[in-house]
Amino acid sequence: MANRRTIKLITLVAVLFSNALITQAYASEIPADPFNSVMWKSMVQRFFPGDQVIFDDRVVVSAPQYAENQFHVPVTVDATALENVEEIVAVADLNPIPHILTVRPDNAHAFIGFRVKLQQSTPIHVGVRTRDGVWHIGGAYVDAAGGGCTAPAMAHGESNWMKYLGETRAIARRSPLGEARMTLRMRHPMDTGLAAGIPAFYLNTMNIKNDAGQSIAELDIYEPVSENPTFTLKPNVSGAAQTLHVSARDTEGNEFDFGLPVPAVSAQ
Amino acid sequence: MTHSHTGINRRRFIQIMAAGCACCTGSVSHARLLDYQLMATEIASKTWAVHGATEYFNMGNGGNIVNVAFIEVPDGIVVIDSGPSRRYGEALLSLIENTAPGKPILRVYNTHHHPDHFLGNQVFDPGIIAAPEKVIENINVEGNAFADNMYRLVGDWMRGTKVVAPGLALSDAKEEVGGRQFSLFYLAGHTSADFVIRDDETGVLFSGDLAFLFRAPTTPHADINTWQQAIDTLAATDRSLILPGHGLRDETGESLEQTSDYLSWLNGTLNEAVSFGYTMNEAMALPIPKRFDTLSVVRTEFERSVVHLYPALEESLFPLVDVNQ
Repeated sequence: MANRRTIKLITLVAVLFSNALITQAYASEIPADPFNSVMWKSMVQRFFPGDQVIFDDRVVVSAPQYAENQFHVPVTVDATALENVEEIVAVADLNPIPHILTVRPDNAHAFIGFRVKLQQSTPIHVGVRTRDGVWHIGGAYVDAAGGGCTAPAMAHGESNWMKYLGETRAIARRSPLGEARMTLRMRHPMDTGLAAGIPAFYLNTMNIKNDAGQSIAELDIYEPVSENPTFTLKPNVSGAAQTLHVSARDTEGNEFDFGLPVPAVSAQ
Repeated sequence: MTHSHTGINRRRFIQIMAAGCACCTGSVSHARLLDYQLMATEIASKTWAVHGATEYFNMGNGGNIVNVAFIEVPDGIVVIDSGPSRRYGEALLSLIENTAPGKPILRVYNTHHHPDHFLGNQVFDPGIIAAPEKVIENINVEGNAFADNMYRLVGDWMRGTKVVAPGLALSDAKEEVGGRQFSLFYLAGHTSADFVIRDDETGVLFSGDLAFLFRAPTTPHADINTWQQAIDTLAATDRSLILPGHGLRDETGESLEQTSDYLSWLNGTLNEAVSFGYTMNEAMALPIPKRFDTLSVVRTEFERSVVHLYPALEESLFPLVDVNQ
């Protein structure tokens, strides 16, 4: 008994001690941010939790050095050089609402194109979590004029904007190598709630499934995504002609579902 | 919009700060530091071009990336465009006085509402500043946002600059100013209103930004098909030479050919990129043909054009899908 208790005690002490070590190691292991963001540690704690965060050139984040339009800053994330990607999380450190989106590319390549509203010049960090729990980080710094998140959406300049809510244009294509790619553009004001008198109202989820009902990708979408959200994804699908099923939902519970035909590899 | 209100407040703040600075340090040293060093180049009889850098706006050039011109007509001076800031306008006034001393300024034309072409207006009497109605409307709607952005891009060069819209709306095909006849062309494409002026005596055609020479065209308000039609109109117009909005004087029509060639390539390339479903960032990285290497800032302008032109192309090239709600 005494022995067992001693062992338990030793184990407990050991666990506590190693936990302390890990915590300490974790705190000191947040790697220095190449963009020198004052919010970097906070971004890691809020959005890239766990025990390993590394900057990784295989997370390629493309964004213009200067934002031509702070309401529509294009960003493309390509982490296809990484295997076993489970989640892609994009944040704009200095936005009043930093979280842009999270993508789980269940049966898609680790690739997404989107556009974001920026409130001021800011680093954009993208964390790509692989199955082993490691966050692989890439980023870009964008110089932008102010006010991208606090101005009313263009839709509010039209009296009948509700009529077009959810109107969608989309295409799916094959590359010369047969790789599928889809781009969709859905009319939605994506109100952040930060423009005077206009409550938050935005598309917050989008799921894409194949014919068999398997998930291609799931997106959690947040306020900073630009008005009329435009997404480009690379579904990992067979060479046959097929239909992708997209369903999106906004914060008011409106649902928007549509089918998107993908041509067969030889059909183009 | 909220944006422009914020902008106005910010500009007021900057002006107050500027006034404060002048009291403490004296404005003379600042004026000496930020000197546009404008030079007049005689491009035709009694007709001078004031050439800017063929660059994008930056803290070094103070926004002086534009061609402004002035003409000595029998009874005074006619000015085409007024530059990017109040400071530029003041420098332009003294350049005119040094070049053609004692002549009154009778007319200032604004070719279009982009900030480098009209933000020097405030040094002139608004009653002599003239443009088509639509140019004036564009200045009234977008001028403040442009001025805001210029403060951000070139900083202190803009001190004290305010938007002044032309006081005179034009619609006639001809106008006589100070004993000289001008032909007026009401075109569009680079923006929704592009105003072209020809001096009927010398034959110099002031094309504004419908023509660029060895400088990549800009597209923040462009409608490319309309622009190509305007270029066709200008190509068929009698003239001795063209002063493009950016770049040196053009005696052969090369500026029209270059601008048209670039716009055709731009339009075709972006149509294809959108049809393939490329993201904007992928499109920005596409190769630019060798023949455009001679256009300065072509990569920067191409990247900007992707942002300007993509949304409308997506609207027109992507089919509507049936959405169940």
